Amino acid sequence: MMGTILPVLASLLLFPGGLTVFLTGMAYEWMNRKLLARFQTRVGPRWFQPLADVIKLLAKEEVVPEDVHPGLFTALPVVALAGCLTAALYVPLWGVGPLYNFPGDLIVTLFLLSLLTLCLGIAGANTFDRFSLVGATRAFTQLFSYEAPFLLALLGPAFVAGSWQIDEIMASGAARWVILTQPIGFIVAVIGLIGKLELPPFDAPEAETEIVAGSLTEYSGRGLALFHMGKIIELVLGITLIAALYLGGLYSPLDFLIKTIALLIVIVILEALFARLRIDQSVGLWWRYGTLLVLLQWLGTIFWKGVAI
Amino acid sequence: MDGSRNHVIRTLETVKRWGRLNSPWALHFNTGSCNGCDIEILATLTPRYDVERFGIKLQGSPRHADVLLCTGPVTRQAHDRLLRIYAQMHEPKYVVAIGSCALSGGVFADCYNTLGGIDQVIPVDAYIPGCPPRPEAIIDGIVKLLSSLQPVELQMEKETV
Repeated sequence: MMGTILPVLASLLLFPGGLTVFLTGMAYEWMNRKLLARFQTRVGPRWFQPLADVIKLLAKEEVVPEDVHPGLFTALPVVALAGCLTAALYVPLWGVGPLYNFPGDLIVTLFLLSLLTLCLGIAGANTFDRFSLVGATRAFTQLFSYEAPFLLALLGPAFVAGSWQIDEIMASGAARWVILTQPIGFIVAVIGLIGKLELPPFDAPEAETEIVAGSLTEYSGRGLALFHMGKIIELVLGITLIAALYLGGLYSPLDFLIKTIALLIVIVILEALFARLRIDQSVGLWWRYGTLLVLLQWLGTIFWKGVAI
Repeated sequence: MDGSRNHVIRTLETVKRWGRLNSPWALHFNTGSCNGCDIEILATLTPRYDVERFGIKLQGSPRHADVLLCTGPVTRQAHDRLLRIYAQMHEPKYVVAIGSCALSGGVFADCYNTLGGIDQVIPVDAYIPGCPPRPEAIIDGIVKLLSSLQPVELQMEKETV
C-alpha cells in the first residue's frame, strides 16, 4: 500500500506537480519581468524577486474588510490556486508528459484555467468597493470575450488529431507542426492567452492607472499572494499548452525550455509594444476578428479534411 | 525542545525579514505639497533610475503597499485623508517623509492651514531632506530605512518581554 502511495504523493507534491509548478511559475514570472525591463532599457528585478514578493505577502497582515462575505473572501484565492494546480496535472510540464490523462482532458484543463478569472471576478464583486466592482465587471467582460476564440483556437489541433486528449494531440502533431497548417489559430491562441493572463495590452481589468488594482484592490497578504501565484502558474500552463498543441509537442525538458521560452519572448514583445486597449476595444477585437478568423480556419480545416479522406 | 522551537521561529523570522527587505511596495500620497517632490518621485520610478532593481514597485492600493511615501506639509484638508490611508495599510508598514515640507512644514511652517510635518500626524520612519530631494536621495533614504529594520534578535527579545 505504502509503495503505491508514496510515488503518487511525490509526483503530486514535488515533481512534476506542486513545488515544481510553483518554482517554474516564479522563474517564468522573473523572465517575463526581466525581459520587459530589458526592452524598456532598464536593469530589471533580481532573480529572487518573485520569491521575495510572495514571502513578504504571505507574512503580511490580512484584514477582512467590512461589507464582504468573509467565507468567500478567504475561500476564493484558495479555489483559484487549487484550480491552477489541478490543471497542471493534465499539462505536459517540463516535457515529461501529463501526469494524468483521460479522453477529454483538454476541455477540463481549459475550464480549470478559467476558474482563476472567475474567482477574480467574484472576489471583486464580493467587496464593497467601487474599484473592485469596476474591475470585476471588466474581468467578466473580458472572460466572455476571449474565452470563445481561445477555446476554438485550442480545439483546432484537437479537431485535426481527432482526439480531445492532450498527449494524443501532441503525438499527432509531432511530425507536422500544427502552427504551419493553422497559423491563424496559433495567433488567436497567443493573443487569447495574453487576455486570459490580463497582461498588457489586455490589462484593462486591473489597470492600475485607472482603477487602482481592479478586483484585487481590497486583497492583501495571503489572499493577494495566492491570487498572484495562481496567475504566474497560469502563465506557465498556458504557454505549455500552446507549445504542446501548436509547436509539435514537448518531449524532453530541453524541448520544453526552448519552445516555452520562445513563446514567452513573443508574448513579452507584444506586451512591450502595445498600449492598453479599452475594454470595448478588446471585446471588439476578439469577437469581430479573433472568433471570425478562427471560424474561417475551422471551415478550411473541415474542407481540407473532407478532401483528404 | 524549547531550544529547537526557538531555532525554528528564528529561521522563520529571518526569512520573513528577508522578504520584507527585498520587496518594499510603495504608495505615494501628496499631503499638500507643491508637486516638486512628487515629480522627483515620478522621476525615481522612471527607467533611468529603475527602482525595480531593489524590488520597489509603485502600488495604487494602500492594501498592497508597505511603504507610504508622503510629500508636503500636512494641510488641514489632507489630515483626515492621510490618517485614513495610513489606517488602510496593513502591518508591517513604514512611512517615509520626502522633502523639507514633509519634514518640518518647510516654507509653509506657520501657515494657518497647515499642521507642520508628517510626524505631527502619523509616525515617520525615515526623513529625506531636500527641496526637492533628488531621485538618488530618495532611493538612498528607502534603502537606509530597509537596512535599519530591527535585527531578528532584538525583535524576539521584544516579543518575549
